Amino acid sequence: MKSDQLKGHLDVLLLAVVDVRPAHGYAIISALREQSEGAFDLPEGTVYPALHRLEEAGLVASRWGEVGGRRRRVYQLTGAGATALAERRIEWKQFVMGVDNVLGWAPA
Amino acid sequence: MNDQAVSDPIEAYLDRLLVELSGRARNVRRILAEADDHLRDAVESGVAEGLSTAEAEQRALDRFGSPSTVARRFTRRPGRLLPVPVLSQLVLALALLAGVGLVGIGVSGALAGGMGAAVGKDFVSGDVAGVTYTPARCADYLEYHPEAGTCARAATAHHFDEIVEYRLAAGILGLLVLGGLFLVRRSPRLARVIPMGEGVGLLPDGFVATTGAAVFGCAASVLIFSGLAQAGGGSGGAGGYLSGGIVAAVIAAAFAVGLFRALARRALVVDAVDDLAGLRPSPGT
Repeated sequence: MKSDQLKGHLDVLLLAVVDVRPAHGYAIISALREQSEGAFDLPEGTVYPALHRLEEAGLVASRWGEVGGRRRRVYQLTGAGATALAERRIEWKQFVMGVDNVLGWAPA
Repeated sequence: MNDQAVSDPIEAYLDRLLVELSGRARNVRRILAEADDHLRDAVESGVAEGLSTAEAEQRALDRFGSPSTVARRFTRRPGRLLPVPVLSQLVLALALLAGVGLVGIGVSGALAGGMGAAVGKDFVSGDVAGVTYTPARCADYLEYHPEAGTCARAATAHHFDEIVEYRLAAGILGLLVLGGLFLVRRSPRLARVIPMGEGVGLLPDGFVATTGAAVFGCAASVLIFSGLAQAGGGSGGAGGYLSGGIVAAVIAAAFAVGLFRALARRALVVDAVDDLAGLRPSPGT
């Protein structure tokens, strides 16, 4: 999937990744690539602006921490982030159901 | 810059990124530190996969994106002004509230007219005790309403006409505003002209309902209190306030129902958050 197709979905994907466990940037991007089985092809450096934006919005929090013997910025989901993620999950399910219904692919 | 920095593509990349970045020094240092960490991790990963160091460095840099691309994303900060799609949706939401308010004023005009017919014009537009008019003003009123007989009655009749007619005119204006909004929402051509963020709701959930309930609730309180105070003081004109207050209260109640529904939707989210909290692995697992 090209990066322009990811536009609008990157934030919620990042929230979903840090919802599993707090992680630093490289681990977040690796998880995105692995969990999407390589489907998300985006400049990895552009994930950091998104993480910073989410932090400014109060949806994630970050701190410097020692990971693997190196000092890294670790991101974790906030309460507001959990709420936003839950909202987006509901919206996404409704969207997918709607599209499936229209396309006739919904399970009987 | 030493020779090692020049020959190390990661260092060279970070130098170029530093040049491209702008903003607070602390943010720039943090961005560079995170980019440095990321690129070193990516190189280690590539080497572990069997790539040469040079190949791993090149892949890491290719995947990270050009310094200008990364820096541009960082510098795309929200400005002091609201983004145009947010502003558009805000204007439309306020126009909806204004339209509803104007229609409400029109309905209150009709209600005031009904009150005047049922109870008398003095109840709607009678002056408070002690109000007097100049002879010239009285002559004007009596010219409009010669059948009134007295200056006070003519003034009341004139004010009654103004209350009913001006409010009805406001109601017609409100219908035009609401009709315009309906067209904007239904017309793809207009929707393209007005950038609204591809129809995505950019305002907080329940924004219109919350604002409407608050604004019309306050208006209803003030108008009903003023009307009751007027009636309690034995003066005329209470109906002018009460007609507006009653309509405002009805509108506020309607918005309050919308607000309740918005809050009920939040309950679904709370349930989902609780479910997620139960599924989330505890630290250390």
